[in-house]
Amino acid sequence: MALVRAAQHGDAMALADLLELLAPYVSRLCGPIALQDGPDAAQEALIIVFRDIRQLREPRALYGWVRTIAVREAVRAARRARTGSIGGLPPAAAGMLDQVPEPGDPLLAVDVRDVLARLSPEHRAVLTLRELEGLDEKAVSEMLAVREGTVKSRLHRARRSFAKAWQQ
Amino acid sequence: MTGAWPEAQLDPIRRMRILAASIPGAAMAETVIAQPFERVWAVASDLEGELPHLIRDFRTVRVSPGEKGRLVLHARGYLGQRARFDVVLRPGWCWMQSRFLLGGMAAAPHPDGTTVALLGGLRQPGIRAMQPLVNAAGRPLAAGALRRLADRARLRGPE
Repeated sequence: MALVRAAQHGDAMALADLLELLAPYVSRLCGPIALQDGPDAAQEALIIVFRDIRQLREPRALYGWVRTIAVREAVRAARRARTGSIGGLPPAAAGMLDQVPEPGDPLLAVDVRDVLARLSPEHRAVLTLRELEGLDEKAVSEMLAVREGTVKSRLHRARRSFAKAWQQ
Repeated sequence: MTGAWPEAQLDPIRRMRILAASIPGAAMAETVIAQPFERVWAVASDLEGELPHLIRDFRTVRVSPGEKGRLVLHARGYLGQRARFDVVLRPGWCWMQSRFLLGGMAAAPHPDGTTVALLGGLRQPGIRAMQPLVNAAGRPLAAGALRRLADRARLRGPE
């Protein structure tokens, strides 16, 4: 991670190279969470990343650090523009997880944007971290600063929405 | 499934805003030029031919191949000063750095033509404390260069 060290020392070429490296990653995280506000969220997140890059002590922790900032900014941007979420739905019934399509199921790909749009920003964050980043509930709960049980219920609800859309 | 998930696109203008907002000593201006992207970028990317018209401190510019796909740009000023820049140049993006200076141009298609951004900056110790001065001095300079870029693109006309 010599690139990170060079960027931390103010090498502008390294900063631009690092931006090139991180932009696709941040875009992938902010898109599903902030939806139409994704570009604004990704821009804000990367401004924070590059402003604070000198505070990153361990370059190997770069992606985890960037992920935390990106998800936080995406949820914040989506909250600002929040309309039509289903955050108030009752908890999902037990056993619903069994009906959720597995990752890679082509049926899911058809309506993923539509299904995401029906979820609250927080649910989208949980789903994104689990499904795209492969994090477990504990890691997700630490990142979002919520209890593990809350993550489980958000994930359950998010997955139930996928399942409903799949069955329609 | 990953391919179907929405992604947040960061075009070159947004990327330039990110660097402008986070690099101490940098100042940026942005505008929309009522000319197609290809015509605007044909001017912006012609570093040897056009940069002396856009950046008034540059009398001559010479470009040669560098390492890792980069370019090396040698600029000479009217008072004989010289600077050697490392340059990354690709469609819609130009980023350059010398020992004491940095610069960048970005362009992206816009419904009314082309959005362009121009960044200039000083690489000096302690420049962070002088950011208000850098902005006050640098933004009008960048805006002037963008006006000249619009003029040069208009002069170039349809291919």
